[in-house]
Amino acid sequence: MAVYRRNYRPYSGAQTAEWSRFLVLFRYSRRNLFRSKIQTGFFVLCFFYPIACLVMIYLAHSASFLAKLGVPSQLISIDNMFFFRYMSVQGVLAFLMTAFAGPGLISPDLANGALPLYFCRPFSRAEYVLGKSSVLGILLSQITWIPGLVLFTIQGSFAGASWTWNNLWIAGSLVVASLIWIAILSLLAMALSAWVKWRIVAGALLLAVMFFGAGFAQAINAVMHTDSGHFVDVAYLMAAVWIGLFKVDAENSITAFPALIALLVYCSFCLWLLMRKVRAYEVIR
Amino acid sequence: MTRLWWTQVKAVIRLELKKTFFAKRGLWIYAVAALPVLLFIAYAVAMSHEQHRTTEIARDGERRLAYQDLLAIKPGMTKQEVAAILGKPPLVFHWTERRPTGPNSTEEILHEDLHYSDGQNDLYLGLANGKVQSINIHEGYNLGEDAIMFAGVFQFFFLRLAIFFGCLGIFMNLFRGEVLDRSLHFYFLAPIRREVLMAGKFLAGLLATCTIFVTSELLQTIAFLWHFNPQTRDLYLYHNHGLEHAAVYVGVTFLACIGYGAFFLVAGMLFRNPIIPAAAVLIWEGINPFLPALLKQFSVIYYLKSLCPVEIPVSPGTPGLFALFISNADPVSPPLAIVGILVVALLALFVSSVQVRRMEINYTSE
Amino acid sequence: MSDRIIFEDVSKFYGEILGVNRVNLSIPPGITSLVGPNGSGKTTLMNLMTGLVKPSRGRIEVLGYPTDDPENLFKFVGYSTQFDAFPKGLTGFQFIYSYLCLSGMPLQDAERTAWQAIERVNMVDAASRKVAAYSKGMRQRIRLAQALAHNPKVLVLDEPLNGLDPLARSEMIALFRASATEGCYVIISSHILHEVDVISDQVILLSNGYVVAEGQIQTVRSEIQEHPTQILIRCDRPRELAAKLFESEYTIEASIHNDGRGLLLKTRDADRFYLAMNQLALNGLQIESIAPADDDVLSVYEYLIGNEEVVR
Repeated sequence: MAVYRRNYRPYSGAQTAEWSRFLVLFRYSRRNLFRSKIQTGFFVLCFFYPIACLVMIYLAHSASFLAKLGVPSQLISIDNMFFFRYMSVQGVLAFLMTAFAGPGLISPDLANGALPLYFCRPFSRAEYVLGKSSVLGILLSQITWIPGLVLFTIQGSFAGASWTWNNLWIAGSLVVASLIWIAILSLLAMALSAWVKWRIVAGALLLAVMFFGAGFAQAINAVMHTDSGHFVDVAYLMAAVWIGLFKVDAENSITAFPALIALLVYCSFCLWLLMRKVRAYEVIR
Repeated sequence: MTRLWWTQVKAVIRLELKKTFFAKRGLWIYAVAALPVLLFIAYAVAMSHEQHRTTEIARDGERRLAYQDLLAIKPGMTKQEVAAILGKPPLVFHWTERRPTGPNSTEEILHEDLHYSDGQNDLYLGLANGKVQSINIHEGYNLGEDAIMFAGVFQFFFLRLAIFFGCLGIFMNLFRGEVLDRSLHFYFLAPIRREVLMAGKFLAGLLATCTIFVTSELLQTIAFLWHFNPQTRDLYLYHNHGLEHAAVYVGVTFLACIGYGAFFLVAGMLFRNPIIPAAAVLIWEGINPFLPALLKQFSVIYYLKSLCPVEIPVSPGTPGLFALFISNADPVSPPLAIVGILVVALLALFVSSVQVRRMEINYTSE
Repeated sequence: MSDRIIFEDVSKFYGEILGVNRVNLSIPPGITSLVGPNGSGKTTLMNLMTGLVKPSRGRIEVLGYPTDDPENLFKFVGYSTQFDAFPKGLTGFQFIYSYLCLSGMPLQDAERTAWQAIERVNMVDAASRKVAAYSKGMRQRIRLAQALAHNPKVLVLDEPLNGLDPLARSEMIALFRASATEGCYVIISSHILHEVDVISDQVILLSNGYVVAEGQIQTVRSEIQEHPTQILIRCDRPRELAAKLFESEYTIEASIHNDGRGLLLKTRDADRFYLAMNQLALNGLQIESIAPADDDVLSVYEYLIGNEEVVR
């Protein structure tokens, strides 16, 4: 009998359930992420505005306190516009968080040729992408829809059951708006970092997609005398979807549905790029 | 010695250019430079299509019109009076509006849109119950408006974003990219002065960005002029400072590459994550119009804006802050602007040369 | 002008981490080996010698030239680093050729010299392929070619035999030997003492950033030969095996492994011991595996360095 046959003992212990295997990546990546003091500090900073919103909700329901301050109680109204503003502020913070944390998730693995190490285990490419994107997904959820729902619940408890029932759609909008934004940011960050393989350049590209996209959109509109240029501006498209979801009276030349379709196209492109680049091998010609 | 240095600079340039021009990672820079060209090509195609349509409308008209004929129409004229001057309209759209006049009564108004053309310019007339209510003349060739549009795209998109991000991609790659790729030691192991290496890399970056963005600028100009008929093109180029403006745009592009290039070169050496200074500069350049005079001078865009040949007018009703952003409140003279950029660039290169001598190979800290 | 490579009280710190500390060396011509476990400071010493890193304290001179003058230093120094990265998109030939062009060599001379260097490391067939597609051994050889290309007086080679097959190893060793015979300074680093033992004129032993021994190879070699080898044998009947092995003269010490399924044994003559093991296996003993227990060289350092702490 060959020596290796006598010597080799395959692992026979318990295995992580297949469906939850991607969470292994999540655990390690998240731990790495929070080793950075800047990251931790920024994460804490992201809760300042929700806390301010909480104070506003409290004040809005403390008529006597407002009267003492001489502030008319109508000044603070907790409605769809309030939650739209909340979403806009947290959306910007989510983008900054992605620009900081996103590119470091995949690019080091690609740059250091670590992908074969992942894929030589019972771990598929889809699970890898899911594991890495879940880091951003959960992180961004913690600063967008989760505190948003907490605010909504607190407002509901102050305003009563009828307000909650009539405005339940706002909670739904909060979750849907956040999830779309999170999906776009995660996919963009990962696709760009998989493409360039450099954490720093991927961060720069993410900035470029937002700033350059907005600038190019304006250029298209100016030259072609159109509003269609906004279709290359991801932030504008997202704002259009949010305006639709929160039923806000705001000026926007693109309606929610075409904006959503455009965002889906961008997401599909990012997924295609990821699937092309996240491979266990590289062909050098 | 100088000859040896020059030979070495040439060797560095050859090596770097190959990497810059043919790297897959750098394809996005070509895209950034090509986008405004594509935009002006699309504009030229759209305008040609528009002109073709205008010519067809003029041909379909009852009589051949001159521009003066189009100007002769005044509000309040009847449809017959218009037809007497311009003939039967080649294109007519009409619809009826029911306007309520009381609780149970409505008034019917017949609206008609007439479209005339002299072959170059369009006249849109809005008639209500047979009388001219609105007059809209759309000029086929409006050199003034087009030149301002071109200047706007150049100043607010090409200069501030395209060249900015292009230089960011190329010049940061020169040293920081090598550190990230763990290949900088290749250069540091050669018998070459670090300053000579830096000069070679800077010149390579400059050559690459200038080639890409000056070509883009020239192609934009060509695409922009494409839809003009030869007479209008000659008028714009030789009698309306068009050629001069094109040369200035090329010069400004070149200076932008020097200014931003030198900055990003030094940022790539000084900062482990140069994105933070890059974002800071993007914001600094953005808020430049609001800065005090002294601070304005420490900016590339301040000098570049002063060199731009076409002032973008602030249209009435523009909010104050935005108007300040568009206008160039206190521009410097062109020679001073050129010297200013070169001084800013030389300062950055001086810091780079000090920094490159101090650089060590320690990839593990990246 | 000095004819030695001199380190005077040189220390290097990476922030709070020690690279090397208070190193005083005077390296003569010939082959000098820097030996030490991983993290002992070999690469730092080589990087200091070639100016890739600057000393936090002290002075370094290579044949009379300071290391912060690359323009003059690399005219007579060639360094084959351990960094396994190359400028993007270059073929093996272009890698050497570009390096020579950077030196300021005229293009035709650079081309001729590049091919000569490639021939010296037997890479002519692969020279037109991209370096990124090379195997580890090929990358090692092309790095050696780069270091050798301009016929330097000082050759600094960081783990030059890593990844090479036995034939290539012997060719490279012959190359180093020939350079040393011509009066060159060949500085080689390795963590495998036995590997450099046969080719070195002098050896510098490093541990935790300190030079712990320096001198002629003969002195160190005699110490190595006295050092027993430890072997782990996995088998079904370790006690029976131990009894049989004690009958032979090469076994110094044997102990049953903690799990009771193996035997840990010390011998002074590993080659003869292995022959004896073959015989025992043929006699019906079920042996699963035989592996050197101290092949990681740490035990050798422990032995040589004595009480010095060994990085594990």
